[in-house]
Amino acid sequence: MATQFAYYPGCIAEFSSKELDATTKALAPMLDIELLPMPAATCCGAGDIAEAKPNLYLTLNVRILSQAEEMGVDILTICNVCTLNLRRANKMVKEDARLLEQVNEELVKVGARPYEGTKEVTHLLWYLATEEGLSLLEKQGPRGLNGLRVAPYYGCQLLRPSSVMGFEDPDRPQSLERLITALGGEVADYEAKSKCCGFPIVLAREAVALRESHVALSQSRDAGADCMVTPCPLCHLAMDAYQRKAEALNGTEYNMPVLHLPQLIGLALGLDRKVMDFKRHMVPVDRVLETVGV
Amino acid sequence: MATTTLDIFRYQPDVSDASYRQSFELEHPSDLTLLDAILKLQDEQDGTLAIRYSCRSAICGSCACKANGKTVLACMTQVEDVKREFETETVQVDPIGNFAPLKDLIVDLDPFWDKFKSVKPYLVPDGPAPERERLVSKEDMQKLFRESACILCAACYSECNSLAADPDFVGPAALAWGYRFAGDVRDGQRKQRAKLYTGEHGVWDCTRCMYCNERCPKGVNPRDAIEKLGGIAFQEGRSMKDAGARHAKAFLLSMRTGGKLNETVLVPFTDPIKAHLDIPFAIQMMRHGKAPSPIPHRIKKLKEVQQLMKNVKETI
Repeated sequence: MATQFAYYPGCIAEFSSKELDATTKALAPMLDIELLPMPAATCCGAGDIAEAKPNLYLTLNVRILSQAEEMGVDILTICNVCTLNLRRANKMVKEDARLLEQVNEELVKVGARPYEGTKEVTHLLWYLATEEGLSLLEKQGPRGLNGLRVAPYYGCQLLRPSSVMGFEDPDRPQSLERLITALGGEVADYEAKSKCCGFPIVLAREAVALRESHVALSQSRDAGADCMVTPCPLCHLAMDAYQRKAEALNGTEYNMPVLHLPQLIGLALGLDRKVMDFKRHMVPVDRVLETVGV
Repeated sequence: MATTTLDIFRYQPDVSDASYRQSFELEHPSDLTLLDAILKLQDEQDGTLAIRYSCRSAICGSCACKANGKTVLACMTQVEDVKREFETETVQVDPIGNFAPLKDLIVDLDPFWDKFKSVKPYLVPDGPAPERERLVSKEDMQKLFRESACILCAACYSECNSLAADPDFVGPAALAWGYRFAGDVRDGQRKQRAKLYTGEHGVWDCTRCMYCNERCPKGVNPRDAIEKLGGIAFQEGRSMKDAGARHAKAFLLSMRTGGKLNETVLVPFTDPIKAHLDIPFAIQMMRHGKAPSPIPHRIKKLKEVQQLMKNVKETI
């Protein structure tokens, strides 16, 4: 029987990065996962609502957790930011009964279900980067990445703060490397894989953000990567959509294709290329497809 | 006894402008701290090796440095723990990041102190002083508990990704101190502080890399303080005064109208002028199907969310 999750793709995967949502949904049955929709779930607030109205931020995220609890399943995300915000809210109310009570009072007042604090939030990467997860990939008999040299790009919020995230050492993460290797790729290692892509401030402070993304883009290029892979759609936007702007600002060329994590898995497992919709990428992925042989 | 190779960053400007690395072999007890290891090297092998330190008890914050790339307080870090954590026999020691080195592990802290001073790190109460001291309830003081623990060691500053890209960013430590006073019920400058902290290089320049929370040796969680300062700025009427604030406001508007992020609103609302000047980029995004639908998404049970937005009171 497939493992069921309340599927929380986050706003970006449903809108400007639809290819991520579509690929995840197509991949799920191959990985023995059933993704249950959450039609009444809001945006997690992405750190912005927390910066404007901290109590509202907490209440909105607990409301999402409560919906998963009503469905009787844990939440699966495909976005670093959603993972952090949902996990943070979960930790806050699980560790403080009085706070949970206060939040639940607000939820009940508007007719929402109170949260009992029984659910967990995980990311697709975490689910797959365990022994059990890797065996799900093995079952598919991956045809592999044909030695594609992949630079893992974690971004920030799937790793830190470790007191909230806690899946792996934020200074020496290895989950993406495990997946890349298991899928028949080669790891192009570089120091900035866990630095910030700058996306949270790209609209308000574009030049600063582009100087941040430059660090990871230039290092992955220098490490001889054929492409980068990221578990976060916001990092993807920063590295892919804004890559030409970063090149112009920093006076250098990266020409670095950036894949969403499910796309890398999809390539290795032979998922229909059309589903993965690489046309939506701003930086062409042709050389990646050529190397993998699709 | 244990044996460790310490690979240390050296910079002796009175001898040469070039920095270099020097390896030292050290035999030491298994519970030796990194600071004591460096002082032992200084004492026994190279008297020119320089590090700033004072209390040796994780209170003064002056011995912050990098051990295998991670910013730590040298006095509260044991050499054997670093080796265990990084599974290595060598400990690489560097000065803290985002600072110019002055000599070996000693850096120029002037920019850090200037930024600290710029946030007015002291109470400015309103009105005449009372006969007795200004009392604070335990509950009110609890709100500042974490930020009050900051020892200004600059570990957060050392790792801040925004600072690496913009040296003028005020940085996490100063902003944590900012909240420590903006959130204090005895202070009479809340509105002025909200203005002071939310301009260019302030609250909205934080890129949320979370390194500050991760690295703080005292559990101050500067990023959380920055978040709270944003909340205070909103309460004090600064929600439209900066592109960063408008970006957050756009999330609230999206939440109210559809429950999910409305990207059509987000870009022009955050920076209307830039959005109009950046038409070529917008066209490229559209070509790749990344232009959002002008019809906002609408989640089920939206009324619950709208009512929560009216009901939930902020208590920062």
